[in-house]
Amino acid sequence: MQWNNKDLEQYIDEKVIEYVDTLLIPLMPISLKNDKNLIKRAFQAELLSIFGNELERQFKGRMFLMPIYHYLSTADKQLEVTRLNEWVEDALTNPFKHVLFLTLDSDWKKVEAQLQGEVLWFPSMQSGDLQSDETKGMVKDQISQLTDLIKTYW
Amino acid sequence: MSEKRNQVSRRQFLNYTLTGVGGFMAAGMLAPMVRFAIDPVLKTSAQSDMVAVADLSEISDEPTRIDWTIDQVDGWYESEVPKSAWVYKDENDDIIALSPVCKHLGCFVNWQGDESHPDQFYCPCHDGRYYKSGVNVPNTPPEEPLDEFEVRIDGQTLYLGQTKPHREA
Repeated sequence: MQWNNKDLEQYIDEKVIEYVDTLLIPLMPISLKNDKNLIKRAFQAELLSIFGNELERQFKGRMFLMPIYHYLSTADKQLEVTRLNEWVEDALTNPFKHVLFLTLDSDWKKVEAQLQGEVLWFPSMQSGDLQSDETKGMVKDQISQLTDLIKTYW
Repeated sequence: MSEKRNQVSRRQFLNYTLTGVGGFMAAGMLAPMVRFAIDPVLKTSAQSDMVAVADLSEISDEPTRIDWTIDQVDGWYESEVPKSAWVYKDENDDIIALSPVCKHLGCFVNWQGDESHPDQFYCPCHDGRYYKSGVNVPNTPPEEPLDEFEVRIDGQTLYLGQTKPHREA
């Protein structure tokens, strides 16, 4: 399920709601500082939304993909942890059973223990051509590994 | 000179001109009608919807996952939409292309996705199962067979089109 009109019309059906028990929140750092990482961040942002959409496509009937959660890459992670835990609490009462965070930002690994959801961090490319067959093959491969990982949480 | 001028009389001249003009008018009216009448013959048999996805040599009697993309104009923007299918040859050597989208809530099914049920499609979301033919296993969540893709074979190339309900649905 995605956060859009068409999917939500299907989602609000009581029979469907009880089947959708997993919330996927992509976490994406943003900074406009013009340094060598600027292009890398934009590239990884595109990559992250591809991963989010592709995972949702495979698990449409059980996983709800939230709009991407953006934060400043310089932001205090403790504050973000507090905010995200509010998200998790809201999700758990409404009534999701699993909350997964999808990210390419390794900083979340350090605060993973404080987060009430599971962090799916994975290393990926820093730059490249998203349309090339090479990238597509690699993304496809990583997605199949991620789907296997997600199944172990269920 | 005067003899030559009389070779075409006024009456003949008018006759020729009127027949000529009338002929053009008749042709002008008939041509579109003929075009309409034979239109179905000239149609490119919906080939534009069919996309070449694989070579026949890649297809065996074991379902293989095939991925491709189509361009879709969506009101606001044009996008490349990813598509997937499970393709295999059945016992009559016919190509079967099943949509991987589970008829329960739309997750992707996997061939042999569940170890305890080999030779079945398995949906990891809510344990839905389908036989190899695409027909749903009774007493699992899905209530309909998987959709099928339109299949066309041209030489050694496999083309897939739109999905349609399963032949046994």
